[in-house]
Amino acid sequence: MSLSDWARSGWLVEHRTSPQEIADLLGVADRDLRDCARPGLSEDWQLAIAYNAALQCAAAALAVSGYRASRDAHHYRVIQSLVHTIGMEPHLVRQLDAFRKKRNVGDYERAGLISETEAREMLALAQTLRKRVEDWLRQNHTHLAPRRPMPT
Amino acid sequence: MSTVHPVHTVATALFGKTQRALLALFFVRPEQSFYLRQIVRTAAIGQGAAQRELARWVEAGLLIRTRRGNQVYYQANTASPVFAELKGLTIKTAGVADVLREALAGLADRIKVAFVHGSMACGTEKADSDVDVLIVGRVTFGQIAAALHGTQELLGREVNPTVYVPREFHKKLRAGHHFLAAAAVAPKLFLIGGERELKRLGA
Repeated sequence: MSLSDWARSGWLVEHRTSPQEIADLLGVADRDLRDCARPGLSEDWQLAIAYNAALQCAAAALAVSGYRASRDAHHYRVIQSLVHTIGMEPHLVRQLDAFRKKRNVGDYERAGLISETEAREMLALAQTLRKRVEDWLRQNHTHLAPRRPMPT
Repeated sequence: MSTVHPVHTVATALFGKTQRALLALFFVRPEQSFYLRQIVRTAAIGQGAAQRELARWVEAGLLIRTRRGNQVYYQANTASPVFAELKGLTIKTAGVADVLREALAGLADRIKVAFVHGSMACGTEKADSDVDVLIVGRVTFGQIAAALHGTQELLGREVNPTVYVPREFHKKLRAGHHFLAAAAVAPKLFLIGGERELKRLGA
């Protein structure tokens, strides 16, 4: 299935992006990646912030490709779209989706279902994704790529 | 049943392949009914063997057979006097535990202890309950998520792993971490390791 098939199924809505929108989305991702590294945060919160950074990156890539996710299963679609936008490997997409479910459980149920190891892993995944989206923009959509490279 | 452990499990010692498949299908999700073609496909067994076994189970009152339209459905008979025992046996053997254990087999040498906790381990699960799995070992969440991914369709349930490295698990238990301390004493279905390994990790 391609993104246009998804749009026909009502999962995506056509969308026209702008350099400003992409800069904003990636800006939020960079802010989250910074905030996530602050000392003293609980693992649940670290994971949620890093997850949000990853989601913004995925949404940016989807917007560049001409779509946004419609309301139902919004996060799920945005994550799955990474296969079609930046060509993300299925195992990484599955990993991100597993973190999505973990975050849902963490949000509403028992605190402590998230370990330090997992929070660190989510952060690393978000950083990888941020870099991948930027590289993809530079190679394929130069006019939408951030003017300054990703902060480290 | 498992390719990794050629020795018998409780399930293979007691039941044949068709019986194990039917137990897993009917007693892990007792609220669900299935028609023959579904049973044959999901359980990956022959149609003839399935039909003969189903007829026996219906006669013994283990399953209920109902006709809706021109389709015949089979479902676990929750009123059977041995329903609770079979369900418990299935979940501990041919069902959830075996499926998860096999999925983790490739990572087993790096896992100190792994167990199912929550409603699935207590026997209080509902039709849409997730399977919560706690894993302590030198593995990443990504590796575990990849290994367990395929089990979700098989079990018809979401599988939610939590992965701890031994040092963090030990440290948090020592600090009286609420969730881990509660999980350590609550009912569990061990997949890898057991109470002894858990004690060694500080529980």
